Amino acid sequence: MDTVGLNSYLLVAAMLFVCGVVCMAVKRNGIGILMGVELVLNGANLNLVAFARYTVLGLDGQVMALFVIVLAAAEAAIALAIALNFYNNHLTIDVDRGSELQG
Amino acid sequence: MGSTGETLRNLLTLAWLLPLIGFLVEIYALCWTHRLSKAPAYLAVGCIAAGFVCSFTALMTWGVQTDWVVFQSTHHDEHHEGDHHGEQHHADEHDAETAHVAEPAKTDEHHKHAEKAVASAPADALAATHADHAAEHGDGHSEEHAAKPTVFAGTFYNLGSFGPLKISLDWYIDSLTLVMFTMVTFIATCIHIFAMGYMQDELTEDYVDHEVHLANHEHFHRPGRFYRFFSFLSLFCFSMLGLVLAGNIFQVFIFWELVGVCSYLLIGFYVERKSASTAANKAFIMNRVGDFGFLIGLMIIWTSLGTFQFFDSVDAEGHTSQVGLFHLIRGTTGEMQLSADGQQVLLQNEVGELLTAGENLRSIPYWLLVTAGLGIFAGCIGKSAQFPLQTWLPDAMEGPTPVSALVHSATMVAAGVYLAGRFYPVFTPEVLLVIAYIGCITLFLAATIAVVATDIKKVLAYSTISQLGYMMLGIGVGGWGAGLFHLVTHAFFKSLLFLCSGSVIAGCHHEQDMRKMGGLWKKMPITAATMLVGVIAIAGLAIPGSQAVLGETFAFSGFHSKDAIVATALAYTKLNAVHGLLFLAPLVTAGITAFYMFRLWFMTFAGAPQDEHVYDHAHENPAVMTGPLLVLSLLAATCAIGGESGPLYKLLALSEAVPAGASTAPSSPVTIVLPTHGQVHAVHATAGKFALLAAGLGTLVAYLLYCRKALNPAEIGRQFSGVYGFLVDKWRFDELYDFLFVKPAHSVGRWCQGFDKVVLDGVLHGASSLVMLVSTWDRWFDERMIDGLVNLVGQVTGQAGRSLRVVQTGHLRQYVMWIAVGVVVLFAALFTALPK
Amino acid sequence: MTLEALLFYLFAAIACGSALAVVLTDNVVRMAFWLVMSLGAVASLFFLLEADFLGATQLLIYVGGTVVLLVFGVMLTATGPYVQIKTTPAEMFLGAGVGGLLLLVLASTVMGINWENDVAHALGAESEAALAADTTVDQSGTTGRPLGLAFVGVRPDAVGPDGAATRPGYLLPFEIVSVHLLVVLIGAAYLARAKRRVEPATDLLS
Repeated sequence: MDTVGLNSYLLVAAMLFVCGVVCMAVKRNGIGILMGVELVLNGANLNLVAFARYTVLGLDGQVMALFVIVLAAAEAAIALAIALNFYNNHLTIDVDRGSELQG
Repeated sequence: MGSTGETLRNLLTLAWLLPLIGFLVEIYALCWTHRLSKAPAYLAVGCIAAGFVCSFTALMTWGVQTDWVVFQSTHHDEHHEGDHHGEQHHADEHDAETAHVAEPAKTDEHHKHAEKAVASAPADALAATHADHAAEHGDGHSEEHAAKPTVFAGTFYNLGSFGPLKISLDWYIDSLTLVMFTMVTFIATCIHIFAMGYMQDELTEDYVDHEVHLANHEHFHRPGRFYRFFSFLSLFCFSMLGLVLAGNIFQVFIFWELVGVCSYLLIGFYVERKSASTAANKAFIMNRVGDFGFLIGLMIIWTSLGTFQFFDSVDAEGHTSQVGLFHLIRGTTGEMQLSADGQQVLLQNEVGELLTAGENLRSIPYWLLVTAGLGIFAGCIGKSAQFPLQTWLPDAMEGPTPVSALVHSATMVAAGVYLAGRFYPVFTPEVLLVIAYIGCITLFLAATIAVVATDIKKVLAYSTISQLGYMMLGIGVGGWGAGLFHLVTHAFFKSLLFLCSGSVIAGCHHEQDMRKMGGLWKKMPITAATMLVGVIAIAGLAIPGSQAVLGETFAFSGFHSKDAIVATALAYTKLNAVHGLLFLAPLVTAGITAFYMFRLWFMTFAGAPQDEHVYDHAHENPAVMTGPLLVLSLLAATCAIGGESGPLYKLLALSEAVPAGASTAPSSPVTIVLPTHGQVHAVHATAGKFALLAAGLGTLVAYLLYCRKALNPAEIGRQFSGVYGFLVDKWRFDELYDFLFVKPAHSVGRWCQGFDKVVLDGVLHGASSLVMLVSTWDRWFDERMIDGLVNLVGQVTGQAGRSLRVVQTGHLRQYVMWIAVGVVVLFAALFTALPK
Repeated sequence: MTLEALLFYLFAAIACGSALAVVLTDNVVRMAFWLVMSLGAVASLFFLLEADFLGATQLLIYVGGTVVLLVFGVMLTATGPYVQIKTTPAEMFLGAGVGGLLLLVLASTVMGINWENDVAHALGAESEAALAADTTVDQSGTTGRPLGLAFVGVRPDAVGPDGAATRPGYLLPFEIVSVHLLVVLIGAAYLARAKRRVEPATDLLS
């Protein structure tokens, strides 16, 4: 534990990832679920950058992380639009109200 | 001017095609006019009359071309006793003429069709072959009719070539063709005009057929069929003219069948009458029987001789490319050339040389030629209603009377005799013997039936059969000219008789039973008079001794032609004593003919009226019907003027391709010697006396029985009820055929039906039961096993789906949770299953 | 303990703690705040990982853009001043359990791999040398230019002995992502455009 290595970053990333997943799983608020997604993406990004730093990936990892950031921004925009639509249709943001996909 | 042949061809082709045009116009154009229009009749009459004009012009052209040779000959007896010098001179004349005729045809380079004027070899060659027969008579008679038949022939159109065989539309014109054309068109014109009056009652929108009784006891109503009748008549004339003009036997066959079809259509004109449709079928089927033989003959000719054409076809260079049938068989001399053993007939070319195929001489087996001849004659038997197939002709009376007149005189039945005459060179003496006997049987048989017939048209029908028998007999005993002479004269007086009977029937409102007539000459004098002319003509009456006064016997046409036949038959039986029947039968029948014909006339016109109702309503017919009667009676009386020295006979005799006197092959089981013309002439006077005596006797008996009522005919009939019944039943031929053919056919049919029902149906039913069984089991299997399996799969799937649908909650968060759980479980499974 | 390690632990703790707080907080606005904290800490970690450009981008886009977007979303969908949609304790418990298990899986995987040897071995001997070379290069504060060059297809950081680039550039993916972003933004604008508010459907609310 005296040196900060790849494993440490990966553990932090895993923690972020799990927090994101649990956030998506338990939040009934649609916006909360979006936040969970952001957390998951951040965990992944942290992984990429850590690999870029500590392995031969180098700059490629950072490029991937950049793409992820861009895609996350796009995803946030579109997800927010969906959330607004959902709210328009259900007059609430509680995702448990939307069960149209029930088989 | 082109060659004579071309002129004749154009004229006759026009005469031939005009009725076809008439037919087409009537069928396709005039049917759109209303049914009351007389236009079809005018058109048909116009066509056939124009055809007659063309034919007559052709005949005149011929006469001019031959310098009226038919009128040049002086009296018969002069020839008989004539000196050799004159005869020789005459023959030279012929030579010059034929050469003259042949010249333009050959030099006509740009002529479209191959055309050839065939001239036979010089007469002396012919005389030499007959030396053995002619020598004993010591005169030049074989030369008298050793005419060089002037023939114009050619091809209209080549239909196709099948190996060596060519099928083409040919034309063949000799004096026989011309006479036939003129006769057919003339008689057809008369009949057409008569029919315009006779068929008047068809000019209606609502024709009531009194013969047809419907189930509701009413008569059958239908629109009139005036235009249809005339269109069929036109087609009939076209077919007959095509048959006469045809230049090959195959073409003859085509028109032969067309004639058959037309007769079928016209006999069955009142198609709604059961009897009419049956009669039409009978005529058609009986003819098919004969045509079967015709086809066999055609096949033999095709395979053995390789050509159908009568004449030699000539290629562009003027060489003969294919020798015609007549030259193949008879060469130029008219004699068949037999091989040494007599089993083969050697084929000859157009100049009388033997044809070779490589090393060997080309030949046809003798028996095959006999078979071919018999086959072709079988066709003639059917068409001319000769002995075994004669039963259709009386039934054909179901057609309208003008049709009967046409069928019985100029077209249908004439076709058979015409073909027998046209194909005469191919017939061997054995075939001729068969022809003679067939004719002999027919003429006697039909005459006896005619004696007891009471239907006026039936009497005439049987007399037709009888007269056709005379013609066949004449041809069969070697009297080629006599037979065809009788064909032409008979055509005139028989059409006259039929039209007279039609006039009577029309005048008596469709009453045909003679027993209800009587005394009608007061009501319809023109019909009675003209019919008397016909009756005298057919009976063969003459004024005895008139020869001394007038230079020739004064008689109507029938006397001369029948006399010629009887004379030939007598000469024949003198040479072949075994066949004496061939003279006796026609002699006796001549008496019977006179008897039944006068019986007909007396019963109809003389005596007291038998049925007041019929008598009261009888009336003379309008001029459109009596006019043809008068014209025809004139011709029936005079057409044969001069007898065998007259123009008609001489004109016909010009076409006699084969001289009389040919004998059978030495190997043949029967030895036949045909009489020469000289031999015939020698017995002519005797035969004439006998025939006249018989006819006179027959007339006398008829007069006594039916006019003076010396005896009651009905009483005689009762006394000889066996014979009477036998004759009334027409010798029970219908019953015989019923027993011989129809019943066996029925039993075979029944047996086949039984076989069909028991065996075949059994097999089929067994098979179907088996199939049913299998399919039942298959259905069970299908429903239980296959469907069960499929249903099971479906049910399981559906069940699984139903049970799994609760998982699909639609709650987003649950899905995320499931993903996480899934990842965890996957990892756990991986690490437990694949430990490092 | 070096300063780098100290900073790492600090920011790692902030990142993880804030992420946990996002999960545990019910109020959306607070969740957004904790999210900003967590993302900022991750940006700091990027700086520690010598990815200066990326860290800056993270701050700009996430903290400055995405989270603001989320807050706008919260405001647009809020039915009351403080939106609180409670999670049931059972669900919380279930999520915690599953999350713990997932964390366990991930952590054990991360810890179970010897990165120095196994990864080098997996990448091959050649890559091992490159790795050694890479790690020796001091890249701090210099990633902006190589990244930009990589996006236009030039790779000065991966030049082989013969002077040719050993790795591909990212021109095409860059263009694709650009167009993609454009399309997505247009689509989002279309989806979120002002519509007539439908009447509350009784069956959905009941």
